[in-house]
Amino acid sequence: MPSGPDSQSMHDPGFGSPSGGHGRERPTDRQSGVDRRTEFQPQVNTGEASDAPTFETGTTVVALTAGDGVVLAADRKASLGGRFTSNKDAEKILRVHPTAALAISGSVGPAQSVAETLHAEASLYEARRGEPMSMTALSQTAGQLLRGLPVVPLLGGVDDDGGHVYELDGGGSVMEDVYAAGGSGMQLAYGVLERRYDGVRDLADATEAAVDAVAAASERDTASGNGVTVATVTDERMQMEVADEADVDALEPVGDGDSADESTGGNGEVA
Amino acid sequence: MQRDQQAYDRGVTVFSPDGRLYQVEYAREAVKRGSPTVGVRTAESVVLATLGQTRSPLMEADSIEKLHDLDGQLGVASAGHVADARRLVDYGRQYAQRERLRYGEAPDAEVVATAIADFIQETTQTGGTRPFGTALLVGGMTDSGPQLYQIDPSGTPDGWRAAAIGDGSEAIRSRLEAEHEPGLDREAGVSLALRALVSDRDQDPTAEELDLAVLDAEGFDAFDRERTANAMADAGIGPGS
Repeated sequence: MPSGPDSQSMHDPGFGSPSGGHGRERPTDRQSGVDRRTEFQPQVNTGEASDAPTFETGTTVVALTAGDGVVLAADRKASLGGRFTSNKDAEKILRVHPTAALAISGSVGPAQSVAETLHAEASLYEARRGEPMSMTALSQTAGQLLRGLPVVPLLGGVDDDGGHVYELDGGGSVMEDVYAAGGSGMQLAYGVLERRYDGVRDLADATEAAVDAVAAASERDTASGNGVTVATVTDERMQMEVADEADVDALEPVGDGDSADESTGGNGEVA
Repeated sequence: MQRDQQAYDRGVTVFSPDGRLYQVEYAREAVKRGSPTVGVRTAESVVLATLGQTRSPLMEADSIEKLHDLDGQLGVASAGHVADARRLVDYGRQYAQRERLRYGEAPDAEVVATAIADFIQETTQTGGTRPFGTALLVGGMTDSGPQLYQIDPSGTPDGWRAAAIGDGSEAIRSRLEAEHEPGLDREAGVSLALRALVSDRDQDPTAEELDLAVLDAEGFDAFDRERTANAMADAGIGPGS
C-alpha cells in the first residue's frame, strides 16, 4: 500500500479534514417510524454512527443581522487538513433561497450537496405554495439535511419578519442568533464581533464588522485566508462581492478605521 | 345507454368514450346523499356547521363526529361516507404534523387541503381502488386571512368564501350566494351558516343534531350543546321559532 497516513485526507479536499471515517451509511429517519424527511436528500455518504461526526474545520465564516437585512462573510481558502492550500478562490457562501445563503465550513462535498439540496427544497416549496419559504422553515429543513454530515454552516436570510442568522451543525441543531461565527477562525472572528456588534446599525456597519472579523481571523488562523467573500441580503435580493487579500481594505467603508487598520494592516502574508 | 355505461363503470381508471370517469361521478352521488355541511368565511374566522343523522333515539348523538380538529388550528367537515372521511381526516392530521416536523411551522388550510386532494386523486388513477365517497371542507385562519377549501371526490381543491356540500347543497349554496358578504363578524357568520344549513329543510334540527365550530387565530373552537343551542336561538332556528 503506497498510501501514507495522510492519503485519506488528501483525497478529501475540504475546508477542514473530517477525522470521522468515510463511506458510512447515512442514518435515516425512516427507521424511526416518523417521516420527517425532506423531499430530497443530499447525495453523500458519511458517518458510521448516527451521532454528529467530530472533525476540524479550516475556515472562517461570519453572519450578522443588521436592521432588516443580513450580512454573511467568509474567507476564500480551501485546505487539506488545514496544512496545504488546495484552492485560493473557494466559494464558501452559497445561495439557497432568493433571500438567504449558507456560509459553509466543514467538508466541501457534503456542504455543497446540502446547499444544492436546500436550494431545491426552497424552490419546490415556493412553487407549490406561491410564496417563498420562511426562515423558520428554511432553517428547519437545513437542520434535517445536515444531520449526520460533517458540515457546520451558518445560515443567514431575510423573510417577512426581518433578518435571521442560524448556527447549524451535523447533529441537526438549529440555533438562532443575531450574529455568529464558525470555522477554525471563529474565536478570532468572535473577538471582533463581540466588540463591534453593538455598534452595528445598518448593512454598511455590518459589512464592515463582518469583513474585519474574517480579516482578523485570516491574519492568525493558518487555515483561513486568501481574501473575503461578502454577501448582503435584503428582503429583495442577495448580492455577493469578492475581494482578494489586496482588495479587502477596499471593501470596507472609509472612516472609522480604528480596528480595520490593525486587522488588515500590511503585516505580511496570510497563511 | 345502460349497456354503454356498464362497460366503463367497472374500473375507476377507465374513461368512458365521452371522457367521463363514472366511478368518480358515482362518488359525487354518495356525497349528495350525505348530510348537509356548510362553511362560511368571516372577517377573522371560518365557521363550519353540519347536521348529524341520528337514526334512532337510542344512539349517542355525540358519538357522530362530523367536524374534525386537524391539529388545533385547522378544521375539517365532511359529507358522504363517514368512514371514508375519517381516513382522509387522519391523513390530514398526519400530514399537518409532518409539516410541523419538517419546517417547524404549522401548515395553513390551503397546504393541507392540497395534500389531501393529491391523496384522493391517486385513488382515481390507481388500479384496484375506488374513489373516496366523501367531500370535505377544510378551514383555518392565517395571518393573511381566513381560508376555506372544498375537496371533491375527483381530488380537486377549490377555495370558497362560503361553501356547501351534501344533501340539499344547491339550495344552501343559493342562500349563501344571496346572503354572504365579505367582512362578516363572527356572530353573523355563525348565524348565516346555521340559517343556510336549515334552509332546505321543513323542520328545524335540534341542538343535538347540529355540530358547530369556529376556526380563528386561536385555533379550533368546537361549540358544546349549550353554546350551539344559544347560537341557534340567536339565528332564529330551533323548536321555539
